[in-house]
Amino acid sequence: MSLPLGTSEEPLPIRFADEPAHHLAGVPLEFADEEQSLKITGFWMVLVTDLLIFASLFASYAVYRPMVAAGPSGAQLFGLGSAIAETLFLLTSSFTVGIAVWYMRRGNQRAMIGWIVLTLLLGAGFLGLELHEFAVDIARGASWQTSAFLSSFFLLVSTHGAHVLFGILWAVGIVVQVLRRGLNAVTARKVYTFSLYWHFLDIIWVFIFTVVYLGAKIA
Amino acid sequence: MRAELQTPDPSRSTETEAGFEFLNPHFAPERFPWPQVWGYGGSLLLTGAAVYLVLLHVLPAAGLGALVLALAGGQALLQLGVFMHIRESRGPAWQILPLGLSFVIAFALVGMSIWIMTFKWGAS
Amino acid sequence: MTAPAFVPYLLHTLFPPNTHRPTEIGADVMMGLGMGYLVYWLTRHRKWGWLWRDWLTTVDHKKIGTMYLIAAILMLFRGGVDALMMRVNLAMPHAPFIGPEEYNEVFTTHGVIMIFFMAMPFIFALFNAVIPLMIGARDVAFPRLNAVSFWLFAFAAALFNLAFVVGGAPNVGWTAYPPLTELHFNPGVGTNYLLVSLLISGIGTTITGINFLVTVLRMRAPGMTLMRMPMFAWAALNTSVLILFAFPPLTVALLMTLLDRLAHTAFFTLSHGGMPMMYVNLFWLFGHPEVYIVALPAYGVFSEVVPTFSGKRLFGYTSMVVSMAAIMVLSYGVWAHHFFTMGAGAAVNAFFGISTMLIAIPTGVKIFNWIFTMWGGRIRFTTAMLYVMGFIPTFTIGGATGMFLATVPADYQVHNSYFLVAHFHNVLIGGTVFGLLAGMYYWWPKMFGYRLDERQGKLAFWLFLIGFWITFGPQYLLGFKGMPRRMWTYPAGHGWHLLNVISTAGAFVMGAGFLVLVYNVLWSMRHGERDASGDPWNGRTLEWSLPSPAPEYNFARIPTVSSLDAWWAMKQTGQGRGRGAAALRLRPQDIHAIELPRNTGYPFFLGAAFFVLGFGLVFSWWVIALLGLAGVWAALAYAWFDHDQHKHMRADEIRRIEASMGRLPA
Repeated sequence: MSLPLGTSEEPLPIRFADEPAHHLAGVPLEFADEEQSLKITGFWMVLVTDLLIFASLFASYAVYRPMVAAGPSGAQLFGLGSAIAETLFLLTSSFTVGIAVWYMRRGNQRAMIGWIVLTLLLGAGFLGLELHEFAVDIARGASWQTSAFLSSFFLLVSTHGAHVLFGILWAVGIVVQVLRRGLNAVTARKVYTFSLYWHFLDIIWVFIFTVVYLGAKIA
Repeated sequence: MRAELQTPDPSRSTETEAGFEFLNPHFAPERFPWPQVWGYGGSLLLTGAAVYLVLLHVLPAAGLGALVLALAGGQALLQLGVFMHIRESRGPAWQILPLGLSFVIAFALVGMSIWIMTFKWGAS
Repeated sequence: MTAPAFVPYLLHTLFPPNTHRPTEIGADVMMGLGMGYLVYWLTRHRKWGWLWRDWLTTVDHKKIGTMYLIAAILMLFRGGVDALMMRVNLAMPHAPFIGPEEYNEVFTTHGVIMIFFMAMPFIFALFNAVIPLMIGARDVAFPRLNAVSFWLFAFAAALFNLAFVVGGAPNVGWTAYPPLTELHFNPGVGTNYLLVSLLISGIGTTITGINFLVTVLRMRAPGMTLMRMPMFAWAALNTSVLILFAFPPLTVALLMTLLDRLAHTAFFTLSHGGMPMMYVNLFWLFGHPEVYIVALPAYGVFSEVVPTFSGKRLFGYTSMVVSMAAIMVLSYGVWAHHFFTMGAGAAVNAFFGISTMLIAIPTGVKIFNWIFTMWGGRIRFTTAMLYVMGFIPTFTIGGATGMFLATVPADYQVHNSYFLVAHFHNVLIGGTVFGLLAGMYYWWPKMFGYRLDERQGKLAFWLFLIGFWITFGPQYLLGFKGMPRRMWTYPAGHGWHLLNVISTAGAFVMGAGFLVLVYNVLWSMRHGERDASGDPWNGRTLEWSLPSPAPEYNFARIPTVSSLDAWWAMKQTGQGRGRGAAALRLRPQDIHAIELPRNTGYPFFLGAAFFVLGFGLVFSWWVIALLGLAGVWAALAYAWFDHDQHKHMRADEIRRIEASMGRLPA
């Protein structure tokens, strides 16, 4: 489907204040305003650069994996149970935030907020499990000071965890704005970019689960 | 002012970029969220399959690793397609190109770093 | 800690011995006097409000470009003084001017400043000044984030430059290789300064990359397809992609080093399985694309300057686009050539040697295209054009010595010698700096409304070019004679003295060139020829269709583009014969109200908060760091909840402005 854009009078770049065509009919609210749609494109670029951050961390993890020094190896340290539970939390939260966006497109603000809150609870559950796992590891004497392998493990996984934490705080801010201002082109765009961010974190986690936790069982 | 300055030829508009028609935007339909449901089910299935394959050690390590990584790649495509609506945009969905390139470079970065740094593994 | 003990601790931490050497004290005094005069001037002329409203809170890309330019030239001065200090030392092996410790600090700050705080902001200055004008946009895609980028850069640069005043300058080289950067070997705070300021400025750079990528992709005027974009816009596009892909590995490498120092992790330690070479791998994953981040914009400038001053369209536009994209992609496959001597093995070295040589092909295509553009043209030898003429042979020789270094066995001979130093200065000065100065002279009238004096400009050019070759020509020979880089002195009578003296003399010629350049700017501010037409060079691209300097909203009416070199085509098809104002006849009814981004102070506060956070991290004073972090969150929260981001400019107001510039019948 191509957009009904590009009439001779409608300027493609933003900001003709007196143009009634500023908001477009027939496209979702978050794309209806040119400026907000630019921010969505921009947010994709944020994800692009973030992907490379994680790629660098994965490269370090892969290179440091044999460097266990006097500490435990991945096969000795990692249990699959907790990792599978964390995966289920995040996969489910990815689904719930997808439903939230689906409700947003139907204009159902209450349901959207409900599903976002559910997403955040699942995200908080994930974080709790991860922190518990870290605490157990550290109590067993496996901290990020123990070996280069563990340094790279903790940096990779906690960078993802920090992203999840940031996402939760960010989404709380967005929910507050939606409650105060309702759904408009700006708040809808914010929910949409948050959903992109959250799905992206899910992708990263799937690779962490595969490389770190399943990888430890393969080796 | 000249007529050609005032009325752009629609085919020359930046909205459809010649040679980049595959980036023309596509919006997800608004029916019952079946795609999301299938996507969720698919992601659970792919994760379950990966865990199952690893626990059973169906293949030698190298092949198993590659297979599990391929499943993870499938999950990424599923998230991008079903949940992230990667083809949505106003005007061409430009994000597809940098994102595609970033996946290529990410895998090259990891693979080639391992290749370059293996010299040390023997030494340690 | 008791109170009396606290004071000496603080004094010793803030002012260790390497902050009160004569050179440092002298620099402190100069900086203090400069800042004091600035404060006096602002107060005397009651300019504080003007400074805040018109500059510190601005989101106008043109003003942000101006601020980047000022910062870049200031940093060029600082980096140049560092260079001269090194050269003086090497000319006098009998009586060195500075000691080994100070020499280490000076070459470190020289490298960091020239790459991160001179070349990068200079590039962003040009991007900001002209990219929106070139593609027919009213601003960049994210004007507020543009200001955030600038202030993160500015405060990071300030933090880095604070190092030699408070705490001590870094001394680990601009590449900051471990294990030298590990706490055990380098207990001072200098290394922290380097790491933290580069992390902060890296955030700003990444945001700029995103901003210009989206701007070029999404905000082109109607009709300006990708293949009708000016080459400089292509350069911005490719550079932005490079930034997005290159800065993450740097961020991770710096973060790991910082964690090693602050949290005692084991990434690059010599025990616990750490691998210092992994840092080198990650650093050059950034470092090599960075070379092209600073080179591609220069290529873009040349591709604008050459057609304009040859009176011809660019030869081989399509091949220019393709070769630039090829360079962009290939530059990710060559990074290991920076550490051939690591010993990764023949297969790795052969792969990266060959991939490095491959880059010469698209670069050669570009060189030939510029020459063919000049071929048969009516060349006007302006200052900008002279820089291109100086660039072509200089850069070609630099590229040829690069091929020499890409040949692995040859690299083993000259690795880390003055041959390498000469090579990368050859491409970075001959390519990047000449390109940026060409761009500055070319777009100066557009940015400020008057020309830089051509005679002084040409004098500065010749001093730079001749000084460059006197400086770096002998350094190739010194490399062959085995002189390693980064050595603070050498035994006199070693056969290196004469060449070093010549090199130092050349450095002073370049320094004279810089002084002439600054004089040129200051003189032209008073006496420079006003640019009334807006099109002083008979240009080809859309920025020359606007008055100089362009009004806040850039285009009263967004033009429609139907070909490459849009402005040239408009002039040719007789949309007003003749130049300047007549060519784009506006009618009052063409002008509508315009929505513009409103000024905001949060980017400034965000930068300041990052400065506080960074300062706390440098000294491991966690309370200060937490305060800074809280400030960062406060600024972000303010930005998130601020939905009132626009102001309106009424149509009659725009008509009045356009009429005052002679663009509209009053």
